[in-house]
Amino acid sequence: MFLPEVEANPQPSPTTDLIRVAQSAGAEYPQIWHMFAYRAQASAHLGACTQEVMRGEGPLSAGIRELIAAFTSFYNDCLF
Amino acid sequence: MAHIRLSEELPGIRGLFDFRPETAKPLCELADVLLHAPGTLSPGERELIATYVSSRNDCFYCQTSHGAIAAHHLGGDEELVQQVKRDFEQAAVSDKLKALLAIAGKVQRGGKNVQPEDVERARRQGATDREIHDTVLIAAAFCMYNRYVDGLATWAPSDPAAYRGRAAIVAESGYLGIPRDIAAAQAGR
Repeated sequence: MFLPEVEANPQPSPTTDLIRVAQSAGAEYPQIWHMFAYRAQASAHLGACTQEVMRGEGPLSAGIRELIAAFTSFYNDCLF
Repeated sequence: MAHIRLSEELPGIRGLFDFRPETAKPLCELADVLLHAPGTLSPGERELIATYVSSRNDCFYCQTSHGAIAAHHLGGDEELVQQVKRDFEQAAVSDKLKALLAIAGKVQRGGKNVQPEDVERARRQGATDREIHDTVLIAAAFCMYNRYVDGLATWAPSDPAAYRGRAAIVAESGYLGIPRDIAAAQAGR
């Protein structure tokens, strides 16, 4: 990660708790969690938008929506 | 004409916000945190980053609306906004902002284009990790907003002067009023 301050300054948030659990268990976890924890407010809004488009009421099943997300991420060369 | 049926009087992303208020709210809240809420980069600088990325993505509505908001923050200096879009390295902005715009431009082309030397340049010009972080998030978020606006072929007024009135309101009061205004308009329909 380019920005050590991001990793060193988690704000109180659900993601911060997740990071602690993963770290104390010695488990690998995605680095984007540090970004979510650093800017907890922005992450909450991003999460609300993601929740609505991925799981909100609609004719597309959750599986199809995740397939669209995975397909786009694949073509954006984003492994996570 | 838009690819889906949208309210005909609302241009750009506002027609989409009206179509889908559930996603409008968090998208406006995100824009407010990134562009309007207190921060060490001025709202004018942050709007310039959003405008620059939108112009690189060739999104007319976003670059014109955020360009007008940036100009409002910058004392009405629309020429400076044009200079940043044309060639920010020659524009009358701080060296720190130039380094951050360079990072934003790399994110626009693809996140993996950002190299350690780009981050190093920004740090040398006094950028904090928070400012570098927010620059990348603004650039990434605007790639999303730009694709959202153009992916559904929303219409946009062609005259930049038409954007000044709303730009002044958003520059002064932020983005949180947008979903509220849309909900009020829908209730009145």
